[in-house]
Amino acid sequence: MPVFCQLCWSAIVDTDGRIYIRNWQGGILSGGFEKNPKPIFTEGKNQLEIQNLQEDWDHFEPLLSSLLRRMPQLETLEIMKLVNCPETFTPDMRCIMGESPSVQGYFVLAGMNSAGLSFGGGAGKYLAEWMMHGYPSENVWELDLKRFGALQSSRTFLRHRVMEVMPLLYDLKVPRWDFQTGRQLRTSPLYDRLDAQGARWMEKHGFERPKYFVPPDKDLLALEQSKTFYKPDWFDIVESEVKCCKEAVCVIDMSSFTKFEITSTGDQALEILQYLFSNDLDVPVGHIVHTGMLNEGGGYENDCSIARLSKRSFFMISPTDQQVHCWAWLKKHMPQDSNLLLEDVTWKYTALNLIGPRAVDVLSELSYAPMTPDHFPSLFCKEMSVGYANGIRVMSMTHTGEPGFMLYIPIEYALHVYNEVMSVGQKYGIRNAGYYALRSLRIEKFFAFWGQDLNTLTTPLECGRESWVKLEKGMDFIGRDALLQQKQNGVYKRFTMFILDDHDTDLDLWPWWGEPIYRNGQYVGKTTSSAYSYTLERHVCLGFVHNFSEDTGEEQVVTTDFINRGEYEIDIAGHRFQAKAKLYPVASLVTHKRRKDDVELSDLHGK
Amino acid sequence: MPGPTQLFFPLIRNCELSRIYGTACYCHHKHLCCSSPYLPQSRLRYTSHPAYATFCRPKDNWWQYTQGRRYASTPQKFYLTPPQVNSILKANEYSFKVPEFDGKNVSSVLGFDSNQLPANAPIEDRRSAATCLQTRGMLLGVFDGHAGCACSQAVSERLFYYIAVSLLPHETLLEIENAVESGRALLPILQWHKHPNDYFSKEASKLYFNSLRTYWQELIDLNTGESTDIDVKEALINAFKRLDNDISLEAQVGDPNSFLNYLVLRVAFSGATACVAHVDGVDLHVANTGDSRAMLGVQEEDGSWSAVTLSNDHNAQNERELERLKLEHPKNEAKSVVKQDRLLGLLMPFRAFGDVKFKWSIDLQKRVIESGPDQLNDNEYTKFIPPNYYTPPYLTAEPEVTYHRLRPQDKFLVLATDGLWETMHRQDVVRIVGEYLTGMHHQQPIAVGGYKVTLGQMHGLLTERRAKMSSVFEDQNAATHLIRHAVGNNEFGAVDHERLSKMLSLPEELARMYRDDITIIVVQFNSHVVGAYQNQE
Repeated sequence: MPVFCQLCWSAIVDTDGRIYIRNWQGGILSGGFEKNPKPIFTEGKNQLEIQNLQEDWDHFEPLLSSLLRRMPQLETLEIMKLVNCPETFTPDMRCIMGESPSVQGYFVLAGMNSAGLSFGGGAGKYLAEWMMHGYPSENVWELDLKRFGALQSSRTFLRHRVMEVMPLLYDLKVPRWDFQTGRQLRTSPLYDRLDAQGARWMEKHGFERPKYFVPPDKDLLALEQSKTFYKPDWFDIVESEVKCCKEAVCVIDMSSFTKFEITSTGDQALEILQYLFSNDLDVPVGHIVHTGMLNEGGGYENDCSIARLSKRSFFMISPTDQQVHCWAWLKKHMPQDSNLLLEDVTWKYTALNLIGPRAVDVLSELSYAPMTPDHFPSLFCKEMSVGYANGIRVMSMTHTGEPGFMLYIPIEYALHVYNEVMSVGQKYGIRNAGYYALRSLRIEKFFAFWGQDLNTLTTPLECGRESWVKLEKGMDFIGRDALLQQKQNGVYKRFTMFILDDHDTDLDLWPWWGEPIYRNGQYVGKTTSSAYSYTLERHVCLGFVHNFSEDTGEEQVVTTDFINRGEYEIDIAGHRFQAKAKLYPVASLVTHKRRKDDVELSDLHGK
Repeated sequence: MPGPTQLFFPLIRNCELSRIYGTACYCHHKHLCCSSPYLPQSRLRYTSHPAYATFCRPKDNWWQYTQGRRYASTPQKFYLTPPQVNSILKANEYSFKVPEFDGKNVSSVLGFDSNQLPANAPIEDRRSAATCLQTRGMLLGVFDGHAGCACSQAVSERLFYYIAVSLLPHETLLEIENAVESGRALLPILQWHKHPNDYFSKEASKLYFNSLRTYWQELIDLNTGESTDIDVKEALINAFKRLDNDISLEAQVGDPNSFLNYLVLRVAFSGATACVAHVDGVDLHVANTGDSRAMLGVQEEDGSWSAVTLSNDHNAQNERELERLKLEHPKNEAKSVVKQDRLLGLLMPFRAFGDVKFKWSIDLQKRVIESGPDQLNDNEYTKFIPPNYYTPPYLTAEPEVTYHRLRPQDKFLVLATDGLWETMHRQDVVRIVGEYLTGMHHQQPIAVGGYKVTLGQMHGLLTERRAKMSSVFEDQNAATHLIRHAVGNNEFGAVDHERLSKMLSLPEELARMYRDDITIIVVQFNSHVVGAYQNQE
C-alpha cells in the first residue's frame, strides 16, 4: 500500500471484526483470525516451502470486510500483497515449552499460536533458565510440554481442535469453558450410563469427567448463552448435589485420576519412594499417605495419595494431567533396576467416589462388612468385595474432607458395582454428582489441588502441610534441605482461605481465579481457585499471601500473625470485596451436625 | 358436504395465505380436482359432467374463507426457518455416484442426483434408477401419476425390468428361464439405486414376476435365431407397450386375492406418464410417454449453457400429437377428441400408462367394474364414462424414442415431471444446473499479481463471489437446488426465502393448487469418457 499515514501506533485490534491493523513501512498491514480456519500439516516439508501459500482472497473476504468497515477510507488504496502463511496452534491455545519427557536434555519451544512475536522474549528467557538451572523462575506448568501426551497427537484430533482454538484467539474467553471438539476420547465404562442420566461433561487430559447432572425437568441455557462471568446457570443443580453430599450420599465418577503401581522384589520400592516423597511411607500395610513429590527447591512436582498395598507394592493416585509428567519424573529418578517395576494402571481401574454420611451404610450393605470408623479408620485401604465383584480397592478418603470412600474397581466390574451402589443407595437418597460439587466441597474445606493451587514453586510449608512432611523420617528425600532452610527462615508466602463478606452471589461478578488480594490496601498476591460454599453461603477464595516490603518491594517472611492481623479485600473486575482470611478450615464445617428440630418433611423425599 | 369444509379452514389459520390466494376450493377426491381460473391445471379434469357441477363452488367457499380468516386472524406471521426449509427440500434427495475402478471411471455416467417434492398427498410422482447388469447401460426414469399413485408406482417398479428383458440376448433369456424352471438362482438383471422412501410392493411382486416371465417366454419363442443385434429403440417401445398391455390384462383377469384384485384395478384405472433415459457409453436413448421432459445441458465453448430437448410433450401443445389423434379416429370425432386442450375434454397428457377408461370399450369397462370389488363400484370416477367415447382406444402407452449421441460438451441430462417445466423455462433449468455443477468447482482463485486493484474493488468482487457461492453450497444435490429455484424463485430469478417458506408451509390439502408434484433426476456425464469414445472412432 502506498504511503498513507505517518501515525505512530503499534497496533489496532478489533476483536469483533477479528482483525488487527498495524503500521508497516509507512503503509498499513492488516490481518486477522477468521472463524473458519483451514488446518494444514506441514511435516516433511521445508519451513520455507510453506512460508508462502497461494493467496486465498475468498478466505480473506470476511476480514477485508471488517477492515473496510472499521476504516472505510481504505477502499481507494491499492493492494500490494496478500500474504498467506500458516501459523502453528496447540490444542489448548497455549504454547509448548520444556524438556521432552522421553529424551533428556531435549528442549522444545513451539506452537506459539500466532503470538510468537509478543511472547518470544519471555518464553526465551524462561526456557534459558530452565536449561541452565533445571527450573524456570516462574511457574510454567500451563505451558509445559508434559501437559500433553501421545493421546493428543492424533492428526484428526489436532485438525478438529485447532479449528476450534484459532477463532478463540479473538473471542471473549469465559471461565469454565470446555472445548467442544476432540471430545469423548477417553471415557469411563460408565460414560453412557451417566450421560443418559443427564451428565454434562468437561475434559481433562482427554478424559471425560461429569461436571454436574441436569435433572430431567430442568433446562440449561444453550452453549452460547451460558457464557458468563456472573452466577452460572448450573448454580442450583450443583447446590442440590452438594447438599446431597452433606446430608446423604453422592457418587462421583473419578476414573480420570492418574494411577500408578510401584512394586519390587525387595525393599527397592519403599526406598525409592521414601527418597522421592516428603512424607513417611514406611507405614503399616493398608494405610494411605498424602504426600508431595517435591523438587530440590521443596516445591510440588506432584501431590498424591499413596496406599501401601503390601510390604513391597504401592498404589499411587495423582491428578489427571500428571500422567506424563509424573511418569517422566519417576523414570528420571528411579534406578535402572529390573527388580523395581513401575506400571501405569490408570486405564485398569474405574474410580467411584462415594461422598457423604450415608456412604458407610451403602458400602456395608454391599460388602457385608462393618465399615464404621472403628473397623475402617480414615485413610485406610482394603481390598474387599462389593456386590458380586471381588478385589475392589476401597479407600476411606474422598479428596474433599467429607466422610466417604473411594472405590477403585477393575473396569470389567465397573458397571456392576455402579448399578449395585445406585440400587442399594436408593433408600439412603443416593444421587450422581459431578466435579463442580466436588470442587465446592474441597475449596470450602481448604483443600489445595495440584495444578490449580499448588505448583513447582510452592512448598508444603507454605500451604500449611507441615504435618505431611517428615523431615526426620530417617533418610534424605528430594527437597529436604530446602524445607529445612524454609522451616528455619520462615515462608515468603502463605496459602490462605478467604471468605467473601459483602459479595452478592446473584448480582455481583463472581471470583473465578487470578483475582488480586489486598491486605490493608496493599497488593499481596492473587487467588488460585475459588468456589461458592453452599454451606457457608459465601464465596470462598484460596490464594497465596505475600509480604512485600513497602519500601523496596522485596519479599519478606509471612508469619501467622501477619496473616491474622490484616484487613483483606479481593478485587473482582475492579470492585473490591471485603474478605475474612483463614489459615485453617472453618470449624463448623468439620463438625457439621444437624440439629433435631431442623428436620423437615422434604428430607424424606428421595434426592 | 360440511365435513371437509370444517376440516379445511383451521389449517390455513396461521398462514398468511390471503395474498397469494385468488380463491379457495376443495377437493372431493384426492385425485380429482375441480378447476377454477386461478389454479394450475389439474391433469385430469372432471367438471363437465353435470352431476359434479356442485363440486366447484368458489363463491360459497370464498365467503366461508373470508369469514374464517376474520374469525381466526392472528397478527403473527408464520414462516419456516432456513433449516426447516432445507429439511423439507432435502427429505427425498438421493445421490448416486458411479463407483470408480482403479481410480478410473470408465462409465460415461458420473452419477446422478434426484429429488422430489410432493404437492399431492400422497405424492403421485415416482422415480426409478437402475444399472443393467446383464447388458451395459443405465436406466433412469420419472413417472407422473394421475388419478392416484397406483399406476405410477407399478410402472416405476416394473418398466425397467421390461426394458432390461427386451434388451437381453436370446442366450441370457434362455439361461434365466432355465434357472426359473429348475429352481436355480436367477441372474440378477438390475441394480436399483433407490432412496429409502422409494418402495416396492411386496404383495404384487409374484404377480408382476409371472407377467414378466410370460413376456420373456414369448420373446424366447419368437426368436428366429437370426438377428443378434438388439435395437434399443425397438426394445424400449416394446417394453412400454408390453407393460401397458400387462397392466390392462391383469385388471381384466383379476386375482383371487382380494387385495391384489383391488390393486391391479387401481393400477389400471389410474394413469401415469413416463420419461425414461437409457445411457450406454455415448448412446443416449430417451423414451417418452406423456408430458414429462428430458433436457440435455450443453456447455458452449464460451462456457454458456444451452438446452437441447430430447423429448416431445404429448399434449395439446404438440401439433403432431393433435394430428395423430385426429388421424386415429373418424372425422366426425375431430372436434370432440381434443376439447379444451384435453383428450376428450378430460385428460391432459395424450399418451399414458393405465387409464383404461380411455382404452377399453364401454362394455369391458362396465363388466370389469360390476364384477370388481365394492370400493371400485362406489367410486364415481371409475364408473364415469368419458363423453363422446365412440372409437376406443383413445390413449396409448407407446413412447416416442429419441436418440442422441453424446458429445463432450453434453454435460448433463435433466429428467423431470411437468411440475418443474410448468414453473421454469428449460433455458433457466439448464443454466441453474450447469452453474451448480461446474460453476463453483471451476471458480478460479483470485490473484492480484501485477494488477492495480484497490481494496474497494477487491471487496466488491469477493462479496459477489461469496453471494454466488452461498446459494450453491446450501445444496449438495443438483435436483434439490433446482427444486429450490422452481419453488422459491421470485420475478428476478433469485431464490426468495419468504416465498419458498410460504410455498412449503402450505397445508397438504392446498399445496396442489399452487404447484404440482415435482420429480427431478439430474444425470451427470463424464466428458473425459465421452471424449475418449469419440476419439476411438
